[in-house]
Amino acid sequence: MSLLQREREIIVRNEYIDRFDFDEVKEFITGASKDLFISHRFKHSNEMLVQPRGGFPTYDKVFQLYKEFKEANVDVLPLTIDSNTRLNDYATAKKMLALSEEHDTDMLNGYPLVNHGYRTTRKMITHYNTPVSLRHGTPDARLLVEMALASGIFEIEGGPITYLLPYSKNFPMDKAFLYWKYVERVCASYSKLNEPINRESFGPLSATLQPPAIVLVIQILEMLLSLEEGVKSFSVSFSQTGSMTQDIVSSNVIKKLSRHYADKFGHTDASINLVYHQWMGAFPYNREYSDSLINTSTVIAAMVGADKIITKTRNEAFGIPTKEANALAVANVKYTLGMLKGLPKVSDEEEEENLTREVHEILEAVFNDGADTMWRQVFNSIKKGYIDIPFSPHIINANQVITIRDKQSNIRILKKGNLPLSDKSFAYEKSKINLPEGSRVVDKIIQDIGIML
Amino acid sequence: MMKVVTGVVGNDIHVVANRLIDISLQERGFEVFNLGVNTYLEEFMDAVIETDADVLLISSLNGEAEGWCRDLRILKDQYDFRDVVFMIGGNLVVGEVTAQEIVPRFKGYGFDLVFHQVDLNEGLDQLELLLKEKK
Repeated sequence: MSLLQREREIIVRNEYIDRFDFDEVKEFITGASKDLFISHRFKHSNEMLVQPRGGFPTYDKVFQLYKEFKEANVDVLPLTIDSNTRLNDYATAKKMLALSEEHDTDMLNGYPLVNHGYRTTRKMITHYNTPVSLRHGTPDARLLVEMALASGIFEIEGGPITYLLPYSKNFPMDKAFLYWKYVERVCASYSKLNEPINRESFGPLSATLQPPAIVLVIQILEMLLSLEEGVKSFSVSFSQTGSMTQDIVSSNVIKKLSRHYADKFGHTDASINLVYHQWMGAFPYNREYSDSLINTSTVIAAMVGADKIITKTRNEAFGIPTKEANALAVANVKYTLGMLKGLPKVSDEEEEENLTREVHEILEAVFNDGADTMWRQVFNSIKKGYIDIPFSPHIINANQVITIRDKQSNIRILKKGNLPLSDKSFAYEKSKINLPEGSRVVDKIIQDIGIML
Repeated sequence: MMKVVTGVVGNDIHVVANRLIDISLQERGFEVFNLGVNTYLEEFMDAVIETDADVLLISSLNGEAEGWCRDLRILKDQYDFRDVVFMIGGNLVVGEVTAQEIVPRFKGYGFDLVFHQVDLNEGLDQLELLLKEKK
């Protein structure tokens, strides 16, 4: 028995789940409908796939949510997992699920997949016969991902960097890298049975003034760490920056560079997709403005040629949306996309040249680290502040980088901390910034965070 | 250079305000020791002692500050904090309670400066004023 299989046997031997039948799961995935695989959809569809967000504690409520989404002609269904499961606290999740079922109220902010089990969840997934994407935020997702794949969920979001730096204060990062290595290997091994399992990175990060260069670097690194373990289908992603120019530039550069680095490391057979998140920052307390923001981001997604768009709703500022509001958002996005076919390619050469150079510079510094494996190189680079995301709660993040918006709302690097940017790149960033004499940086940051309010 | 220990108290992960406080304090010339989100009162007190700080600035956004801070006086009695300024600010309670009600309550717990739903710059202006007076 391989070391990986031995570890898997230990992971699934858990008091909160029924017996995990590896042979049966393997058989299920081998014979599973192609329609459950988003990788299959990507391959055979030229249209942008639309995916909302959502998850409820009980089976029935998720079942109803999916029904609503299907009536809105959804392409990809989400399964958002509750916060206790994300922290591997299955005992609390179990208690809260029981309370939710008894009292018909939502005591969890998502679906406790581990407690429901794969035999139950699979019934729902196969019933709708539509690709489902696992949305969580879990540093140790080993058991959760085993359960998801066994349920027929063939897209797994996350990664050791993007599900750690924005979500946790002190979960040990070296452990996160190793736990995600397990996830990649399991996804890779199942990918040989039928269509590939798709892995997706989480580009929005802390969704607060994230500089594109750092977002792209992290996307490329998580992609390489995944492909290195044998994953064959990977989605890089980023969220609306607040500047249409920067969105277009980011997408042109990430498409080019993700392919470049995948090929450079010998993964020429892997397919790479682009996912665009509608605005992830603070939404206006105004449903009409929210509609306008959502429509604009749908237009941008079409302009950048995203393979999938992840939607928001007009109720974003007011809490978790109802299933009706959520389905309406899907229908509206599909309606808008219907008007946006065959758009011409737009680009900004100077901006693209600068962003490309910045990404190369940071990645070069990462790969020059003396460690013997890539995950250690990345780990060391984060410790050294070569990779540093603004507004991370994690203690390992350097928190030295400060970004503000320029006159066109592009996010620019004001303080570079230890980012290994050349003088030329940093001078370009600085040249775009116009901070009036005597004004406080912090006031500008507050204003720039609230750009959509 | 005046030293400030800061962070977000209790099981509160609102990092954006915490970073803004950090940056603001640096802009005003303070040396900042930022313990980040999810920090317990005991950890704050240890950090004040370790760094020989002049100010402890606790922030809280999720409205659970009171439960985490009511033991401040007990902890203050265990060590000679001399002239450390104890400050708390943010959204200090759940529900609609007026500042007139909240400020004396938190001063009773041992805070010198209490700001409930007050603008960050205004709070820091008052901190600087108090520090100037103490000199």
